[in-house]
Amino acid sequence: MKPLDRRSFLKNSLLGATAVSLGAQQPSASQAAAGRAAIATSFEIPGIIDTNVNLFNWPFRALKYRDTKALVAKLKKHRVIEAWAGSFEALLSKDMNGVNTRLANECRTQGPSFLIPFGSVNLAWPDWEDDVRRCHEVHKMPGLRIYPGYQPFDLDHPAMERLVKITAERGLVLQVVFGMEDPRVHHPIINVGPVTLAPLLKALASTPNAKVQLLHFTGPSRGEDLSQFMTKANMVMDISRLEGNGAIGRMIGSITGLPSPRFPVERIVFGSHAPYFPVETAILKLIESPLDAQQLQAIMQGNARRLLPRE
Amino acid sequence: MNPREFFINPADYGLPTRDELVSYRIWDNHFHGFLSSNPIEQYERNNFFVERMGIERSISQEIGGTLEKPFDPYPYNAEILKILERDKDRLSGRTPIDPGFPEESCAKVQKWIRDGPCIGIKYPGTGAKAVTCSHPNNDPIMRLAAELNVHVYVHTWLKVGGTPRLPGGDNLPSESTPMDLAKLAQRFPQVWFICGHSGGDWELGVRAVRPYKNVLLEFAGSDPHSGMVEYAMRELGVDRLVWGGHGPSRSYATELGKVLDADISKADRMKIFGGNLRRICAPIFRKKGIKIEL
Repeated sequence: MKPLDRRSFLKNSLLGATAVSLGAQQPSASQAAAGRAAIATSFEIPGIIDTNVNLFNWPFRALKYRDTKALVAKLKKHRVIEAWAGSFEALLSKDMNGVNTRLANECRTQGPSFLIPFGSVNLAWPDWEDDVRRCHEVHKMPGLRIYPGYQPFDLDHPAMERLVKITAERGLVLQVVFGMEDPRVHHPIINVGPVTLAPLLKALASTPNAKVQLLHFTGPSRGEDLSQFMTKANMVMDISRLEGNGAIGRMIGSITGLPSPRFPVERIVFGSHAPYFPVETAILKLIESPLDAQQLQAIMQGNARRLLPRE
Repeated sequence: MNPREFFINPADYGLPTRDELVSYRIWDNHFHGFLSSNPIEQYERNNFFVERMGIERSISQEIGGTLEKPFDPYPYNAEILKILERDKDRLSGRTPIDPGFPEESCAKVQKWIRDGPCIGIKYPGTGAKAVTCSHPNNDPIMRLAAELNVHVYVHTWLKVGGTPRLPGGDNLPSESTPMDLAKLAQRFPQVWFICGHSGGDWELGVRAVRPYKNVLLEFAGSDPHSGMVEYAMRELGVDRLVWGGHGPSRSYATELGKVLDADISKADRMKIFGGNLRRICAPIFRKKGIKIEL
């Protein structure tokens, strides 16, 4: 039997799944079962790298999957093979080292090699640089996640350029959260303004190769922001905030009759925003949009793995 | 790409296949297919996703006028009427009114529901006057709704803002809150109401309409929050929940995820996805001679 290269493997495994999901030409149950079994033995069905989950308690509501063990089980049920985890505690806490230590411990005990901790630093707190160091050197985290707005700074903060530089020097991925929930339903006690992209692009000027991921990002609102985004080689966004029927397809131009691609598929990664959002929502977006096997593979895991290679 | 062509099998990812979605008999309570500067093209284009996601019937929210100008002649009306007839096995519509103008609203209900194709009344949140659904202006419209045995959909939200900063404090002047709808529902217990968008803030919306059994709660057009459907089931009961897609501006994926997140039986999912809506729509469909399977 001729060995399959990686591209053929992925193509065949994804196309193999097609045969059991066509509504109009549905095979019999036994055929479908046989088809799936063949896939399971010959090829592994591709898993998902979820780049956007948070652990612990959302400050304003008891979430259904707030318990880490339950969240891990839920993600695995939906064939997530790795989840990049921040901490809800990072939104409002001052003791960031405590936040990051608890996050690292929780990932290690509840999801070793599955939950990948992304600690946080708060640019408004003194000596945030040491939190970067501890995340990297003590907790061995591969990246950081910041929550502008909830954390009392915006992306035009004077230290932003330095944060980008430090994370790049350490080879860390910097995740920038553009929102956590619809501002119309915020608890009245908080007043978080919109986070805008332009200052981040400015902060990236001196470190253009920094690995930066936009989380829960709606898409650039101005043309110049989008073109500048494209010039940053290692800048990606997750799908958790993309909205509208066929949103991913529209974003990458895979829907016939709509304007040409706004975003190369290489810049889009899977993110669910679980447990605040149902993980089902993000996976259904992959199914709803007309995406081919290669595009799916790139979004489900390929692009994230390129950003964060693992042994 | 064929709308039924998929490159991953949803079942492999813990999700229903298209055939399983079809088996839920999904009625989209909140469809904005014609809400566009080019409504016909948008409607036809969106049918790709209707087909792909297995939606059985869509209820358009803007038949016989736009949400902003419900009484103005709409140049696409003739084409939309043709589509309603062509696609009558999968498309129905509500007609928007404005309680700032009760006489015109009643006339519109007579024209588009009693004598026309529509199966429900739609209250937008963008009326020309600062009149919400709790105002006495609404009473003649509700008496007519009761006479026609037709349900009333009310856009409701609770946008946080104002001074002091509170939910609903940033609503538009004519935009109803779930509390407004509760007042109206109390006055007209014989009319079925749908609390649109779960009140925007579902935790508060559920509380506001909880005492009024003639109010159903809609999941559509707000962010998907894990646990929201189970919470509403506990507080209201499954028979008072309906589902909407709010496409194409919202994604069927977003809205379906809300119900699929809930650990509930298939029978309960079917009630939320369409059974409950069919139940309250049955009289008007019967009156129009349109056969539907409940």
